[in-house]
Amino acid sequence: MNTFFVLYRKELLEMLRNYKWIWVPLVFILLGAMQPVTTYFLPQILAGAGNMPEGAVIEIPTPQGSEVLAQTLQQYNTLGVLIITLSFMAVISGERNSGTAAMILVKPVSYTTFVLSKWSAMLSLTAVAFTAGYAVSLYYTNILIGDVGAGGFWKSLLIYMIWLLFVGTLTVTSSALLRSPGGAAFTALGATAVLAIATSLFPKAMAWSPGKLTGLAAQSMQTGLWDEKTWMVVLLSFVIVALMIMISVLALRSKPSLDN
Amino acid sequence: MDQITNEMLWTIIAPLAGLQFLLAIIALVACARAESTRGPKWMWVLIILFVNLLGPIAFFVAGRRNE
Repeated sequence: MNTFFVLYRKELLEMLRNYKWIWVPLVFILLGAMQPVTTYFLPQILAGAGNMPEGAVIEIPTPQGSEVLAQTLQQYNTLGVLIITLSFMAVISGERNSGTAAMILVKPVSYTTFVLSKWSAMLSLTAVAFTAGYAVSLYYTNILIGDVGAGGFWKSLLIYMIWLLFVGTLTVTSSALLRSPGGAAFTALGATAVLAIATSLFPKAMAWSPGKLTGLAAQSMQTGLWDEKTWMVVLLSFVIVALMIMISVLALRSKPSLDN
Repeated sequence: MDQITNEMLWTIIAPLAGLQFLLAIIALVACARAESTRGPKWMWVLIILFVNLLGPIAFFVAGRRNE
């Protein structure tokens, strides 16, 4: 366990050195704040766009606070997921390609510890960035749009965090399986997209699919609901995450460096 | 909530503009300190300065070569 913390701290330090601890949270905060602000100023933006016919009356119903937060999650669904995959695409393959992995793994460090330290560092950054961004979004929504129930907020935060954990783990696994970082990012993004499409196409067969997490997060934001189905989806996601970590460990064990 | 004064508007927009500015500054610092970038450095400086939000992200994701 001790080596785990040493490696974990090394990972955190490295993420600080290449500015990840600064730019990822900043981008999440900006994305989160953008949604309520643009929703609030939408009438002015449309009026300022200028290509409206003379005398056109624009009636835009002011959305509920919870709707705006659900839209924020949509925003994270595209750009947030993209940023997570892109910033962690080299998490294992980079170490393997540069030979650092081989150098660390000749020391008494188990493959599991190595992968877990990288995975938890990634998870910490994702959790901090997302929580900060979502909290800022809540703050602006409360000021500009209207009150949002705290219960729904915490539930959707938790559910969406599990989704990001799933996406991040997918990236780590692809990075352990593939040599090129770009390929890993592409695979992770493709798999998420396929999962989302399959989940919406086959609602019966994919009733417990992790692809449901995004929808459930938005739904629990609006209704504060957390039922049995949610538990099953969450549980299955955790199982898949554990499996993916095992696959990454096996992939690294079978190929710890490029030249064997 | 309908009457938002000019002053309140600034307290809403200013922190966001500040954060964007901060992100651009950090990206510029990272760009200046990077040993080698993918493509010329001046190109990245322009991208960071003129492409809103996505410019700094693009630099952090793809700009640096060996780190």
